[in-house]
Amino acid sequence: MVQQDTLDRTFAALADATRREILARLGAGPATIGELAEPAGMTLTGLKKHVQVLEDAGLVTTAKVGRSRQCRLGTERLDEAMEWITLYQGLWERRLDGLEAFLTLEKGRNNDERH
Amino acid sequence: MTNDTDTLSLTMSRQLPASPDEVFDAYTDAEKQKIWFSILDTEPGIVEIDVDLRVGGEQTAKWGPSRDELFVETQVFREIDRPNRLVTTSTGSTPDGMTMTTEIVVTFEPHDDGTLMTVTQSGFPNVEMRDFFTQHAWVGAFDRIEAYLTR
Repeated sequence: MVQQDTLDRTFAALADATRREILARLGAGPATIGELAEPAGMTLTGLKKHVQVLEDAGLVTTAKVGRSRQCRLGTERLDEAMEWITLYQGLWERRLDGLEAFLTLEKGRNNDERH
Repeated sequence: MTNDTDTLSLTMSRQLPASPDEVFDAYTDAEKQKIWFSILDTEPGIVEIDVDLRVGGEQTAKWGPSRDELFVETQVFREIDRPNRLVTTSTGSTPDGMTMTTEIVVTFEPHDDGTLMTVTQSGFPNVEMRDFFTQHAWVGAFDRIEAYLTR
């Protein structure tokens, strides 16, 4: 699950233009290392290094298919970041709803005392 | 910590029926927090709140349906400008061990016989992530993030 260091790794992986291009390409569907290397004008070794960084960050998953390695988007990291935002959103809704209910009750009580 | 323009942030506002002084007091007082935090709960649960309201002091809130399922949030007070503004660093921990640190700015403004309370929490992901999502749609996630940003 999400830890600060994992998130840091995710964002560091996204900070590189070539790696973002790889992710954008994989957004259209899975591709092999060779298919990714060709349009990027990179060697297989160079491309593999970028894929490794993306894989370590949980942004890409790879699997051996026949003689080549196929890459696809891994969305787990992103889902975890979103999980936090959703969680805090729920927390603030709860806090603001509670405060509003509490203050409305207090106000009613004060008005009753005055009458 | 980067500034607000560089981070993905969550902003929420609510008009409340009390003066900024009263809202600030209800929001920060430990005993009052215990009341309003669970005032709308339909199921009984655990709510524990400790507050040391001074710069550098901590507020810890623990809540959940049982001892084994507690969410813990510890906020360290960075700026206390009663009754206008409160800045804290928040570290949240889930029952399954996830933790995350963010910055929270709460403002209390007099508005229409009451108070407009605005919460901005920032520091979720950084600018590279936001830029990535503004450039590439990615399995619907962009829509979800944008929904949060524009709330």
